[in-house]
Amino acid sequence: MTFLEKQTDPTTPMHWNGDMQADYFYSNGVAGDKFFKHLMKKDTFLASECPKCGVIFIPPRLYCEDCFCDIPDENWMEVKSQGIIRANTTAMIDAHGDPLEEPVIMALIDIDETDGAMLGRVKTEILDMDLCGLTVKAVLRPKNEREGTMKDILYYEPY
Amino acid sequence: MAKKIEGSPGYAPGTRVSTKDIVQKKISYSWWEPEVQYSWSMGQAMSKFIMGLKDGKILGRTCIKCDRVLVPPRMFCEYCYGPTDNWIELKDTGSIETYSISYLDSDARRIKDPILIGVISIDGASPQHGFMHYFGEMTKEEIHIGMKVKAVWKAPKDREGAITDIKYFKPLKGGGKK
Amino acid sequence: MNDVAVIGAGMTVFQRRLKETGKELSYLATKMALEEAGITKKDIDMVVMGSAPDAFDGIHQKGENLLDGAAGAGKPYVRVFNGGGTGVFAPIAGWWHVASGVADIALVVCEEKMGNCYPHPQTAFRHIWDPILDRPLAPNLVWLFAMEMNRYMTKYNIKKEDIARVAVKNKRNAVGHPCAQLPDEKITIEDVLNSEMMAWPVQRLDISPPSDGASALIFCSKDKVRQFTDDPVWVDGVGWNIDSTMWTNRDLSFPRYVANAARMAYKMAGIHNPRKEIDFAEPYDPFDYKELHHMEGLLLCNKGEAPILTREGVTERDGNMPMCPSGGLMGVGNPIAATMGQKICELYWQLAGKAGKRQIPTDPQVGVGQAWGDIMQMATVAVLRRG
Repeated sequence: MTFLEKQTDPTTPMHWNGDMQADYFYSNGVAGDKFFKHLMKKDTFLASECPKCGVIFIPPRLYCEDCFCDIPDENWMEVKSQGIIRANTTAMIDAHGDPLEEPVIMALIDIDETDGAMLGRVKTEILDMDLCGLTVKAVLRPKNEREGTMKDILYYEPY
Repeated sequence: MAKKIEGSPGYAPGTRVSTKDIVQKKISYSWWEPEVQYSWSMGQAMSKFIMGLKDGKILGRTCIKCDRVLVPPRMFCEYCYGPTDNWIELKDTGSIETYSISYLDSDARRIKDPILIGVISIDGASPQHGFMHYFGEMTKEEIHIGMKVKAVWKAPKDREGAITDIKYFKPLKGGGKK
Repeated sequence: MNDVAVIGAGMTVFQRRLKETGKELSYLATKMALEEAGITKKDIDMVVMGSAPDAFDGIHQKGENLLDGAAGAGKPYVRVFNGGGTGVFAPIAGWWHVASGVADIALVVCEEKMGNCYPHPQTAFRHIWDPILDRPLAPNLVWLFAMEMNRYMTKYNIKKEDIARVAVKNKRNAVGHPCAQLPDEKITIEDVLNSEMMAWPVQRLDISPPSDGASALIFCSKDKVRQFTDDPVWVDGVGWNIDSTMWTNRDLSFPRYVANAARMAYKMAGIHNPRKEIDFAEPYDPFDYKELHHMEGLLLCNKGEAPILTREGVTERDGNMPMCPSGGLMGVGNPIAATMGQKICELYWQLAGKAGKRQIPTDPQVGVGQAWGDIMQMATVAVLRRG
């Protein structure tokens, strides 16, 4: 099917501009609430271990996605907020495409004593682009400033 | 978990959160304010329709095969699925197809003075062909389905090429009473 | 085409806001359905997720976000979505996974978290309107339904009190539902008629509440069903249909797309006279008038007749043609896609005789469930039968 009328005026068609404004509240969830409330008081992380397959989840979960069973309270454990970089990248531009004042290193960090990993910012003087295998620990906000979100983890640094 | 009851569902899992729980920070949560901007192409038919409004005209499009006069206009007929045929200028009058008296704004916030809103079937278009708009110069007691109405336009210098170049529809003289 | 049975269902509590994440809710509903069916995750061949606009949860591509809670990890998994129609469309998709023979056991999970969207879920609804013609008028979605309700009332000369009866009936029916958000044993027609005016003719108690929640359903092929039950509930027919997007060019007094979807489902189910052959229904009731509108669309009575039958008590749980014995969206809550819990899980529970306090006393054999969505244009229908 072709339209019978040809478009000859380059100033049309026109555009209409707008946005999709809405704000969002995300409950951290039952497992997430426990994790973040712990993080507000302590400098360690919480993890949870599946009673069937033994996988240790971090961030901790209420259930095991494979065995599809509950993870009871007694299977929750405290682990150190440190780990080894599994993968990293260095961002030179921000989300709008503008250059950053200083490059930002983001890394996926395998958390010690668990089978999981956390995404976080890394601050280091090491200029190597590949930081895999580097041991890092979390630097948290001062306790009185923590709000119970991922922002409480400021960054990770080598130790 | 709630205690087991007779029948299914046998229990009702889930943890209620009240506004108080949030305000008093009894639960931890995250917050996001997305900022995304869009530019929607109006396309061929809607661009011409909107430019027509800027000129103070309501434009329709004919489908000869289906014997329809389409408002809002489109370049294809969604029923016979062929291209539409001609542009046609319609009157800026019509009748109220349906309406509501709204005490809610677009975010569901309560407002004191209600908005009169509805669908106008435009004169000269096929039956029930028209668009949504506001009503004015009538009370919520006077408004009714079938009421004859006429567009009230913004002054030409204030028009920007938008559906809001029509301010609202008012009762057509002699057609405003029940 | 293979015959398809339902062998388990589950749902979470429905509330304005729940602490659980969408994944956690999906897990809780799925776990209940697995328990009822007596199976585990490894027995599931394929998973269908149903969830309405991403703009409610505020997570784009939320099907992927939800999948680990929906037993989808490592499985063939797909999300389907058609707005308010999703609550019945997701089970239709689950049905065709099994009917086609590609799966023996299919799990369907539906989830919605409307409490995430601020300041109100209406803010997300704002983005479903046409950005050029409608949005500059700053519309509220309630306007749409107010305009449709007005058209329906005016065309068939229906009194508001006859519409209010639906709200009363469904909120009372919901008293027997453990997951219900707004059950009310004592509500009266006067309460509805005296409630706050939102957008005339829609008042506060004419509307179902926005909610968080999840539901789940498990389908099984005829070949395997005897392993699980001697008294299966079958899916006999499914139908879906959508009308033109140009909603200002349609007569809103009758939902012809619902009738089209119903005819498709009835034909598949071999139903020639739905009024006689169908024992009860779960028509979609996000607003009280919608139950009436959909009863007519489902061809269960004449146009304009639903309010009269409601007044006569025909649609009560112990009437000749019970409507929304679950308590519907009006009483149990309206987490869009998760209303599969009232519309299809309830059909299963009623037909299997498992509905407890909500059980229809007349031993129903055939039920029809329906959902409705988008800009008053989408209808999804399923017919379930006992034995």
